[in-house]
Amino acid sequence: MITPDGAPSGSLPHNVYAPEMAQVVRVEDMSWQDRLVEIELPEARDLGHRPGQFVQVSVFGYGEAPISVCSSPAKQGSFELCVRRLGNVTRALHQLAPEDSVGIRGPFGNGFPMDHLAGRDCLVVAGGIGLAPLRSVINSILADRDRYRRLIVLHGTRRAEDILFAEEIAAWQEDPRNEVLVTVDEPTPQWTGHVGVITTLFPKVDVDPANTVVVAMVGPPVMYRFVVLELRKLGIGNDQMYMSLERRMKCGVGKCGHCQIDNRCVCVDGPVFSGTEIVEMHEAV
Amino acid sequence: MMVLGEAGLHELLARALKAAPVLAPVRRGRNSYAFAWIEDPAEVALTYPRTVLPPKQAFLPPNEDLLRFQRLPTPAALPVAPRTPLTVFGIHPCDLAAVNQLDWAMQRRHGVTDPSYSARRTSATIIGIECLPDEYCFCTCVGTAGTREGADLFLTPVDGEHVVEVLTEKGESLIASVTQWRDVQTQEQSAFEQWQQRKLDQATCHLEAALEELPDLLSAGYDSSIWEATAARCYSCGTCTNVCPTCFCFDVSDRLDVAQATGVRRRRYDSCQLLEFALVAGGHNFRGDREDRVRHRWFRKFVYLNREYGRPFCVGCGRCSQACTADIDLVAVLNSVVTETRQETAR
Repeated sequence: MITPDGAPSGSLPHNVYAPEMAQVVRVEDMSWQDRLVEIELPEARDLGHRPGQFVQVSVFGYGEAPISVCSSPAKQGSFELCVRRLGNVTRALHQLAPEDSVGIRGPFGNGFPMDHLAGRDCLVVAGGIGLAPLRSVINSILADRDRYRRLIVLHGTRRAEDILFAEEIAAWQEDPRNEVLVTVDEPTPQWTGHVGVITTLFPKVDVDPANTVVVAMVGPPVMYRFVVLELRKLGIGNDQMYMSLERRMKCGVGKCGHCQIDNRCVCVDGPVFSGTEIVEMHEAV
Repeated sequence: MMVLGEAGLHELLARALKAAPVLAPVRRGRNSYAFAWIEDPAEVALTYPRTVLPPKQAFLPPNEDLLRFQRLPTPAALPVAPRTPLTVFGIHPCDLAAVNQLDWAMQRRHGVTDPSYSARRTSATIIGIECLPDEYCFCTCVGTAGTREGADLFLTPVDGEHVVEVLTEKGESLIASVTQWRDVQTQEQSAFEQWQQRKLDQATCHLEAALEELPDLLSAGYDSSIWEATAARCYSCGTCTNVCPTCFCFDVSDRLDVAQATGVRRRRYDSCQLLEFALVAGGHNFRGDREDRVRHRWFRKFVYLNREYGRPFCVGCGRCSQACTADIDLVAVLNSVVTETRQETAR
């Protein structure tokens, strides 16, 4: 039998599946299950991402996983990922130390519409690890504060020990232009903050529905439905809300089929979709 | 136009074999055929209903290394081996249409070129051959029966010989090396021209809707009980997607060599019909119900990709219906949903 791929002839076109090697420059535990990994591209080149975009991160031998960039584009020379230990690749990412190499492809996807947020009140709804991509939005707003009006952040986690970026949240709370509320579902006796799922925070903030744009990532699909219901109650229209959706993107370039929702590819057309788009898609949430 | 007799065809295949590996239909069982890499022109089956697996393996193999990597001493991505030219011989018009659809999906969709696919495809020579439909074929319903685009040469059987259409410069230079041929005669010319009518006359398929109507009619039937009824028969085995000439979904995983210092990142066919396909980290499955997976197959072919590509992402080869373990017929389901939607709308 004669098969192809024997003798070489010519070179392949640019390999969209080949990651660029980058270096881990800092790791920091964010919680018992989440770790911040700061990564530097060769020559400290900027990643050039928009808030809400993701990268495909490789640890050779373990595989590749899509992970949202959690740092703001305003941060130069490196970028950060908040990695939850859930599978083989994320487990391997938790083993990395400074100076270790990691493969990066991307950034991919559309990102949050910062232009729509500009000049308006920004309501950020972050459930659990959903705060990671939204931290990129928040820090972009804080880096160009006068471009935006009020910043309202609602963050909910299951337990107090799951809260991410606790120190930064405290710093956000210090600025009087920001309102930052955190709630937990399962409080310990020491917890003195809000208790309940994230939707219980909505009545606690005073929202100007006509001038507010919402950005949200809230975890399991059922939470999206509850959040949308609460936002409707506040008078927020579908065209004023943007949600980042989770799917298992294998390729990041619209080929592999894994992240298809109705007629859209999350990796190319998303991961951020407007409320208007989401209500049209059967399989979104 | 020229005609190749047995000797001329043999010569054409021998020339092709000399230039590059040739993938061609060969007989495997009593009535089963496969595209295989041949060594001898005599192996080729010139008349066959359909192969069990489509010829897409030529450009999108079931397993393929996207990347080689080094893990130790320092991680690095290494180039994969270059792809060599190849020839696909004896491809039917439906499968040729499927190659054109894959060209769009792998080379143009979202403006991204898949490097491996593109390297194989651009270096390939394709020689098509005409056929007549059996009971599973519905090429005449989806408009792929007369496909020539994508082929370099195309053969139409006439009285044991073959009329040759030369479609590209690549085809021109290949056929120029063949010495045993003659000019077409008037009778042969008319037999050649009547071939498409013969296909139409012999076809038994029937589609209840015009192709342009399918996306809207199916969309309206999103909540139809037909999906549930079809799912009740389906085993979620993934055979339909495995034999499909236009399915291109894949999974990617790393494999380490035994010393664990180097390895490959490999893609392999995946199937939206398998339970794990839409599973995400944390355990949620966006198509955990079989009904959702079944519907997704029809919607992807006749709604989603149809709207993006401009025509159904199905070429009517009939493989999925013939191979289905549960005897689920793609066209029958399509027609049921279309008919039901029409009745609902009429009410």
